[in-house]
Amino acid sequence: MASTKTCFVTVGATASFHDLVKGVLASSFLKALQSHNYTDLVVQYGVDGKQTFESAVKAAGSSGIQISGFELEKAGLGKYMRLAKGSGKETQEGVVISHAGSGSILDALRQQIPIIVVPNASLLDNHQVELAEALAEQEYVVHGKLENLVKALENAEQLRQRQKEWPPANSGVHRQAKAVGLRGILDEEMGFLD
Amino acid sequence: MAFLILTLLTTLLALLTTAAIYRFNVILTPTRNKPLRHGRRNPNEPTHLLVVLGSGGHTAEMLAMLKRSVTAPNAAEKLNWKDYSHRTYVINEGDDISKERVVEFEELAVGTAEDLMAGKVKKATDIGPGKYEIVTVPRAREIHQSLYTSPMSSIACLQACRDILMKHTTDTRDGHAGEAGKVDFPDLILCNGPATATVLVFASVLLRFFDVRGCSTRGKMRTIYVESWARVKSLSLSGKLLCRVVDRFLVQWPQLAKEAVGRVEYRGVLV
Repeated sequence: MASTKTCFVTVGATASFHDLVKGVLASSFLKALQSHNYTDLVVQYGVDGKQTFESAVKAAGSSGIQISGFELEKAGLGKYMRLAKGSGKETQEGVVISHAGSGSILDALRQQIPIIVVPNASLLDNHQVELAEALAEQEYVVHGKLENLVKALENAEQLRQRQKEWPPANSGVHRQAKAVGLRGILDEEMGFLD
Repeated sequence: MAFLILTLLTTLLALLTTAAIYRFNVILTPTRNKPLRHGRRNPNEPTHLLVVLGSGGHTAEMLAMLKRSVTAPNAAEKLNWKDYSHRTYVINEGDDISKERVVEFEELAVGTAEDLMAGKVKKATDIGPGKYEIVTVPRAREIHQSLYTSPMSSIACLQACRDILMKHTTDTRDGHAGEAGKVDFPDLILCNGPATATVLVFASVLLRFFDVRGCSTRGKMRTIYVESWARVKSLSLSGKLLCRVVDRFLVQWPQLAKEAVGRVEYRGVLV
């Protein structure tokens, strides 16, 4: 095999998201991964996702995709993000699929890895859908639906061609102010006038 | 006779309420006095920044925002960590992950901080990387527990927050005997949405209400609240509780600034 290409899936640390774990291990999705030349699928399945993950892997059988999973990573997901980002020759850039936690979205945006955001509909106060929609509208992310992850993967492959950088280049509004962003606000409140 | 006592009591209550409302108005106006400063890193004027970290998403967003600022390539945006000679991080008891993240961040932030001067002048003016400490408070509420059904744990958290705000005393340096040994309330409180932050901000308001150790007259504990980046259309519960209490209330989506009330302002995305 010439090069590897990784799809990294994260469900976050606080709530479980069995449907996403099952969704990415469905045979239709694994087939789609293969047709886009993916070689590896890494799943962070969360606190009580081990059983769901293992039975879904068993059900999927052999698919030609190398599947691995883990519960949580105390040291952060940076290692796996870099795996999905790839390093050029040996490893191609893959994709991140996230439960819409702002931490993982930011990580992927900073490193300019294409990301599919799938909000967890079973959470009560689900403002994460709003975040996913707003970011998808500005073409930073692909807003994935559980029913159609295959389509989302196709969209993500297209997004790769026109991946935007984060933070947005013109993010400092109030250009006239001397210091901008968080620093500007802290300076104003501290009374640093220089 | 009973009527007379009742009238007297009512009048007294009305007077007290009016006085309290007046006092709250005075301390909660964002235009209240700021301390007068002489330069950014004046060794005679120690600066104290307190950062509240929640767990999970709140910590991630707070540190992403700080990381972006301390590593910003353009000077106008770059936050110089040495401008704050003392940093306090508040985390929940048992939240070892946040603790690790803070240690990582401090290493990065101090490494990126630039010196104001070079050579001999640097030697004379350098105040070093400063110090930081990580303090813990008991959780205001467990996950999924409502803020209102947990008065006991909230009170325990409130007391812990008061102790934290009064814990640090000014570092004694040569030449600023005037400030040495005083309770060094934070100059700035920077927080986002965890329940702990709400409780800590209310603790700071109570201290200012009674002007404990002159914290209100000295213009201490100005508070900056940053609403979660995930809040696009509506404020969070913490946001609703704090939007008329904190000095600065920042949201990260322009559509939210139009919808919301209070002191809401949009100054671009901060994470």
